[in-house]
Amino acid sequence: MRPQRFDQARPFLTLGIVALVWLLVPAVVKRFARASFYELQAPGEVTAAGVRQLQEFWALRTRSADDLIAAGKQTADALAFYELSARQQEQLAAENERLRALLNLPADPGWHYEQARVVRRDFSAWWQQLIIRKGTDYHIPVGAPVVYAGGVAGRVREVGAHTSVVELISSPGLRLAAVVEGDTRPVSYQGGENPAFGASRGTVEYVPLDVITLIGAPRRLLTSGLGGVFPAGLPIGTLTHAEPAPDGLFKTGEVRLDPALSELTEVTVLVPLHPEETAPPVPAP
Amino acid sequence: MPRPTANLPPETHTQKAYNPRVLLFHGVVAILLLTLAGGLAWRQLLRTDDDHERERRQSQRRVLVPGPRGNIFDREGRLLAGNRARFGVTLALDELHTKFHGQYVKIRDNYRAHGDKDLPTTAQMEQIARFTVVQDYLQSINDTLKPLGRPEQLLDGEALERHFEQQLLLPYLLVNDLTPSEYARLIEQLPAASPLQVYASSVRSYPRGPLAAHVLGYVAAADDARPADNHPDEDDTAAPPEIFPGADLATFKLKGTVGRLGLEARFDDLLQGETGGAIYRVSPAGYRINPPLEKYAPVAGHDLTTSLDVDLQAAAEDSLGEQTGSAVALDVNTGEVLVLASAPGYNLQDFTPRLSNAAAADINTRGAWFDRAVNGLYPPGSTFKLITTIAALQAGAITPDEPIVDCEGTLAIGGHVFTCDNGLGQHGEILLRDAIAQSCDIYFYTAGLRTKPEVIAREARRFQLDQPSGLELTGETRRAIIPDPNWKKEHQHQDWYQGDTANMSIGQGFVRVTPLRMACLAASLARNEIATTPTLLHNPNAPVQHHEAIGLTPEQRAVLLAGMEGCTTTGTAKILSSDVGELHKIPNLRIAGKTGTAQIPDKKNIAWFICFAPLDNPRIAIAVAVEGEKSGETTAGGQYAAPIAQAILRKWNEKQLSQASAAPVVLFPTPPATPPAP
Repeated sequence: MRPQRFDQARPFLTLGIVALVWLLVPAVVKRFARASFYELQAPGEVTAAGVRQLQEFWALRTRSADDLIAAGKQTADALAFYELSARQQEQLAAENERLRALLNLPADPGWHYEQARVVRRDFSAWWQQLIIRKGTDYHIPVGAPVVYAGGVAGRVREVGAHTSVVELISSPGLRLAAVVEGDTRPVSYQGGENPAFGASRGTVEYVPLDVITLIGAPRRLLTSGLGGVFPAGLPIGTLTHAEPAPDGLFKTGEVRLDPALSELTEVTVLVPLHPEETAPPVPAP
Repeated sequence: MPRPTANLPPETHTQKAYNPRVLLFHGVVAILLLTLAGGLAWRQLLRTDDDHERERRQSQRRVLVPGPRGNIFDREGRLLAGNRARFGVTLALDELHTKFHGQYVKIRDNYRAHGDKDLPTTAQMEQIARFTVVQDYLQSINDTLKPLGRPEQLLDGEALERHFEQQLLLPYLLVNDLTPSEYARLIEQLPAASPLQVYASSVRSYPRGPLAAHVLGYVAAADDARPADNHPDEDDTAAPPEIFPGADLATFKLKGTVGRLGLEARFDDLLQGETGGAIYRVSPAGYRINPPLEKYAPVAGHDLTTSLDVDLQAAAEDSLGEQTGSAVALDVNTGEVLVLASAPGYNLQDFTPRLSNAAAADINTRGAWFDRAVNGLYPPGSTFKLITTIAALQAGAITPDEPIVDCEGTLAIGGHVFTCDNGLGQHGEILLRDAIAQSCDIYFYTAGLRTKPEVIAREARRFQLDQPSGLELTGETRRAIIPDPNWKKEHQHQDWYQGDTANMSIGQGFVRVTPLRMACLAASLARNEIATTPTLLHNPNAPVQHHEAIGLTPEQRAVLLAGMEGCTTTGTAKILSSDVGELHKIPNLRIAGKTGTAQIPDKKNIAWFICFAPLDNPRIAIAVAVEGEKSGETTAGGQYAAPIAQAILRKWNEKQLSQASAAPVVLFPTPPATPPAP
């Protein structure tokens, strides 16, 4: 008969053996297991998001007919406005293309716009990310910029079969080359440490000393277009203040981000038409 | 052996409860335990501080970062020397321990798998592993920057090993001098949490290139790149202990800069920033353990506001052009140096980040290191006649209304014929005013002979022409010469002749002065005093300088000034009163000046012009000395030096006028707060 002490220790022994086996299995198996777990989890996330949308749909169904008619009119107006904007955009793009050809400038790299619903928003002190409902099935590449109505939303970090993870600009892991509106010198923007219930913030470094920020007149921070990932001119946030850094060469500052970032329901992924001209993130050697 | 007893069974053994041999063993054990406990107590209680200190020194490292240098401005706050960012990419080697080891294992296994007999040593394989890992990182940078047309950079294996051995805690600079586009691209494409990081270092910047190069000087990398592990006491750039503790720790320093010349060297202590940095705990292999135990931000050095005026300095340097010479302008009242130009110069931008051998050779070839304004020793030529005049007037040897000679172009002195080199003819009977204006040599030979050399020398020394000016620059010459018979006896071992007096009277012979000193003379004459203390530091509230008065009577001074004004209107510098051409007269500005043309036998001639203006309210004093291009060539002060002074004066006048027009018009002056006392 086995001693009783061995029976008592069996769970710990099993756990140890499993941990040892996990430690010893090749990295490719681990990667596969992780990806499988992610893909297995994804349908659950998508279903949950679908249920939430259904709830919203039924909640809207309870509205009165007058409300729905008014909303319909607003939607029609917005559609008309966007239709007009789209026409103007087409004309401007054609004009831009003509001028580029005239000046022998390289053609605009161009993007394919892929709208995607947000499945889940995932915020913590260490990461700030979204999961969107499109993945390799829509040719979403890793590193693609993601935008929303207010400007830059973030960048695609991982791509699954049907979902993708977007690292938000409020995440400390995201950094991009920006410019202060009205200036052409690139500065470094990086997501900051974000409090659990506070407004999202980022930090900015290498701000030239002659860039002045006044308390009553904060300046917008825009993408520079020099980094090779984000197109130029997209709003990032507002530079609320900047103070001289100890190096005496630059200022460092704080950037207030759009509170709507934490409530996004839909984003647009900019899929480059010519991937070789836009750079993916540098892989760690 | 135990003895059997009668009452006990035969197999039963008895043992004494008390055995002296066991007791002895107990005693030995007790002594050993006591020794152990004593040793432990000695270590843990009595030696604990020493051991703690040793452990601290072994496991902690200090990294020092120099504070940025202060800026240098001109008197109107325009930047002359500052700092600019230099972007690069660094690799934190101390974060790659695992990668290095993994690569080492891979290399070792590879050698073993191939059965290679010539197996490298462990140290060699570790070195190869480090090179491979770092090369991979560098290649990723090359790939990222390739679309921007940046050529591929190769890894310097020796530099890498040196850095690894000596400065492991400091980031290794992989790529430097990134353009804004390259920097932006890396910012966006390098992962935020990567051992590769974009960083900005501070390098000295001279935005105005060659302007005031000799005054500003330059900086060079402090020669302290070595790790200070073995010589912590020699750590000369570390902050004082009360600011930055850990002076006894092994210290790694990022290279700072030190001033090597000019204001950068003279005010190095002021301009140097306070060193910052951090103290880290390190692993036994020397790799950093984050976060730092202590961290101190570097503090920028103090700024320096010089008295130079960028506009006037640029006017002087532009006007000097390709000529060899110098120009100095002073504020008459405060002695502040407005212009200190020396040509040929050099471009200070060539010194950042470091001066190339080719650029240094070029500077050497052109003789551009030499600051002619402060250290150039020239015979002052006819500008010295002002000293002769003052000495003669004070000695009563001449009077303003006595024509002491009839200039016929030559004068025989001591068996030699001395000529009048000015006026291209004969001045005839000439009075002091015209003698100054026309710079009649015959007049001043005679005046000098009447005055005696000792008196002239005494007067020149009263104006401190033989003394360093005390300007805030290192290495100002002390070799100026005001000769007299004693000086000649001592230095030349010869007697003084009348010809020496004649030569000295017109600033020739042995007399040697600097342009800076002649500018001080002009400023002193403008204030009717004997001395002017020049300064390169600007003080907006600087008081007017006051020194001993020259001692001329009002009539004598009036004639002196009339002669000097005559020089610029009808005399040797009448070119300044021309109505046409580039050198046309500056309207409404009366200039008192004196030209000089010093002839140095077998050497180049020197063209001089000293002046001050406006005559009725002097504000600016100038001295210009231009070396002739060829030996024996006539280089007249009025022709070569006066136009440079006029360029400075023209700019100065423009600024005065623009400042006057920009000044607010006070329509209703504020009444005094309290009524004036009755």
